[in-house]
Amino acid sequence: MSKTDLIPPLAGSATRAARRGFRIPEEIGVIIALVGMMAIIGFARPRFLNPINLFSLLGNTTFLGMLAIGMVFLLAIREIDLSVGWMFNFSAVFAALLMVAGIDPWLSAFAGVLFGAGLGLINGLIAVTLRLPAIIVTLGTYSMFQGLSLVVNKGRAIVPADQSSSFFSMISDKLFGIVPVAALVFIALALAMHVVLHRTRFGYRVQAVGSNPEAAAHAGIPTAWVRLQTLVLMGAICGLSGVMYVGFRGAIDPNEGSDFVLVVIAAVIIGGTPLSGGHGTIIGAVIGMMIIQVISSGLIFFGIDATWSTFVTGAVTVMAVSLDRLIKFQRTRRIELGKENFHA
Amino acid sequence: MSGPPMISVRNLAKRYGGVIALQDMSLHVERATIHAVVGENGAGKSTLMKVLAGVVRPDSGAIELDGHAVTIDSPNAARQHGIGMVYQELSLFPERSVLANLFVNREPVRSGLISKREMEARSSDLLRQLGLHVDVHAPVSRLSIGERQLVELARVLLEHPRLLILDEPNSALNQRETERLFTVLEGLRAKGITMLYVSHRLEEVFAISDRVTITRNGRDVLTKDRSELTIPQVIEGMIGQQREALFPPPLPSTVGATRPQMTVKGLAGGRLADVSFTARSGEIVGLAGLEGSGVADLLDMLFGMRRARGGEVQFPDGSSLPKSATEAARRNVCLVPADRRRNGLMLDKSILFNISNVVVGARDWGTPWYSPKTALDRSNRQIDALRIKGLPHALANSLSGGNQQKVVIGKWLEIGPQVFLLDDPTRGVDIGAKREIYALIREMSANGGIVLFSSTELPELIGLCDRILVLYQGRLAGEVTGAEMNSHTVLHLTNTGEMPGANRSKPVRQGDMA
Repeated sequence: MSKTDLIPPLAGSATRAARRGFRIPEEIGVIIALVGMMAIIGFARPRFLNPINLFSLLGNTTFLGMLAIGMVFLLAIREIDLSVGWMFNFSAVFAALLMVAGIDPWLSAFAGVLFGAGLGLINGLIAVTLRLPAIIVTLGTYSMFQGLSLVVNKGRAIVPADQSSSFFSMISDKLFGIVPVAALVFIALALAMHVVLHRTRFGYRVQAVGSNPEAAAHAGIPTAWVRLQTLVLMGAICGLSGVMYVGFRGAIDPNEGSDFVLVVIAAVIIGGTPLSGGHGTIIGAVIGMMIIQVISSGLIFFGIDATWSTFVTGAVTVMAVSLDRLIKFQRTRRIELGKENFHA
Repeated sequence: MSGPPMISVRNLAKRYGGVIALQDMSLHVERATIHAVVGENGAGKSTLMKVLAGVVRPDSGAIELDGHAVTIDSPNAARQHGIGMVYQELSLFPERSVLANLFVNREPVRSGLISKREMEARSSDLLRQLGLHVDVHAPVSRLSIGERQLVELARVLLEHPRLLILDEPNSALNQRETERLFTVLEGLRAKGITMLYVSHRLEEVFAISDRVTITRNGRDVLTKDRSELTIPQVIEGMIGQQREALFPPPLPSTVGATRPQMTVKGLAGGRLADVSFTARSGEIVGLAGLEGSGVADLLDMLFGMRRARGGEVQFPDGSSLPKSATEAARRNVCLVPADRRRNGLMLDKSILFNISNVVVGARDWGTPWYSPKTALDRSNRQIDALRIKGLPHALANSLSGGNQQKVVIGKWLEIGPQVFLLDDPTRGVDIGAKREIYALIREMSANGGIVLFSSTELPELIGLCDRILVLYQGRLAGEVTGAEMNSHTVLHLTNTGEMPGANRSKPVRQGDMA
């Protein structure tokens, strides 16, 4: 490091004001959107703001929300995993089958998480060794995982017969009678993953590779290894979400998870993570998923047919993306103007 | 001479942010002549040509065609004025056929459908003249680079321009193709077409042109008939008086008695065949060669980005070639890539983020945590040491070329590399930043680093290096040291692969430094 100390800075050449006070968090936009939406619905239908309702809403967000957390890492590394719904389903089926076979539910759940990580590893190994984008690999494994899951569950819901274990009671429990434990796990995971993305070597590498894969490779960052790790992490999170679902609902339906992937990607994008990679926000994704949940439950409160919720979710996604574009456009224009002034 | 010049340019100026590309550039070109424009990289020749082709708008200045003032504000306007440009970077559509590329946007239509027969009829004569015997229905991507360049030329000629601008048209052509190109150009001149010819290669400029304009730092410094000029005069004009000031003197070396060294023996792979040399700490070894000579391959191989087919390499740490860039980075070997926007920087990230690239990204020891605080300290240290003009949180994209390059260098300095592989580190950098980068390179070597420095600019190789290795078509054509180290020798060696006749060729023996 001594190399750099040898050049004495010219007097007055580097006048740099110490900057960086409080910065407005980038998620402020989605937070305002969420609060605004809740206020509007709450104003018209005060029952909506009942804590019990709100917490059950949060509980419903859990399983998809966890997948959204993993998907942030994928978008940040400029990849997309399409197989998340079936990794979720397959891991849940796997864990449930172990429980049916009489293995301790806690142990089965742990095995389910590992199983999910294994599915992610399959995605990762194919993507890395063949140097294919994950979106293409997972387009294939999407059906493979779905098919295998169907083979083992024989098209029927798997219901562990003995649900007396503490696993089931704990996960479906509600703290103080209203706060779902599953939601707490979800929040804890979100906070932990936020730290992982922004404060660890792995998170740094994910952002670096996503920002410019070629420059990352030229800086000596092991890009293949990071992609593999990211896809395994995605699988493990799917596994965790899957086994928690089994604990929460006490069963896993053969079709559960089929419609997850687009909702998950929509939530991440609404949250402010760009498709262009290099950057991601976990908090944003969590709030994005909440927005989607608030919309669909808000529609019910207004007595609108629930079939509209899919349409509205899509419309919100398009709106979020347009808004994001607009803001970015404004910002780059400001930067360019600033640059000209600087040089003038 | 009779009548006004075909094209006349007066006092053209153009700045890109802080970089001055053109200032007070003037040029007068007579009808039916081949007028060469020469100059170093960054002298403004390419910008001048782009202004004439309507791609770049000048900040000020006037252009006259046949004595009439014109504004060329778009490539279409240039086309309407009869100006056609053959670009240095290929601008073809690789997946489309040769014919489709020749008639982009001007496809001949017969009864509402694009007529391939018509395209063939119109282009076959021209392609024969150019000596381009290829399947015109094959996609351009199957053609060699040289053939592609000829397709590009043919495309422009099909527009029947009055003024043809050629920006390094033969950079990818071999000897035979170049000769054929020159025959074509002479034929065009006989037909009354005026040509502006931009090139680095002085021998060729002297072979083809009628008149020569020398540019330097965005100005035209001299215009004369070719017959009144000699190559040394032109080189003198291109380099100017700046050399003394530009290159800092060698620093006192801090290297101890035992100087670590890197030995390369019989290295092959990519375009390289049997390359052997030794580089010791404390010296700056220059690498010269034309595009495709294998210089880039050599650096990539030493950095683990490309596999070697054979040969032995011993790095100062005692190990052989790194198997990956990650291994190279962990062994304190660094590469400053030529294309910094593509390979050197995360443009949408801050200086702070970029500076941590290697320390956090490449290494796998130390803390697994990434601390923005430490990263800030790191970036502040490099911003001070390298005098980067930008705040730690400024995006890399918002910096000038020179500052961007300093960020790339800074991120490597953070790990204190032992081997520096510098691939054209001053490309597209303004003169002030160049000087600072030269000083940095001197530091790297004075502190005991092994420095391999490749450049496309001769003066900087000569001004900075202790010796220069010249690659020609994948082999080590020769090594130039001491008194031999002048533009003439190096130019000759890079362009022909042989030492100039006057100087006795000094064979490069294996391990002659060991």
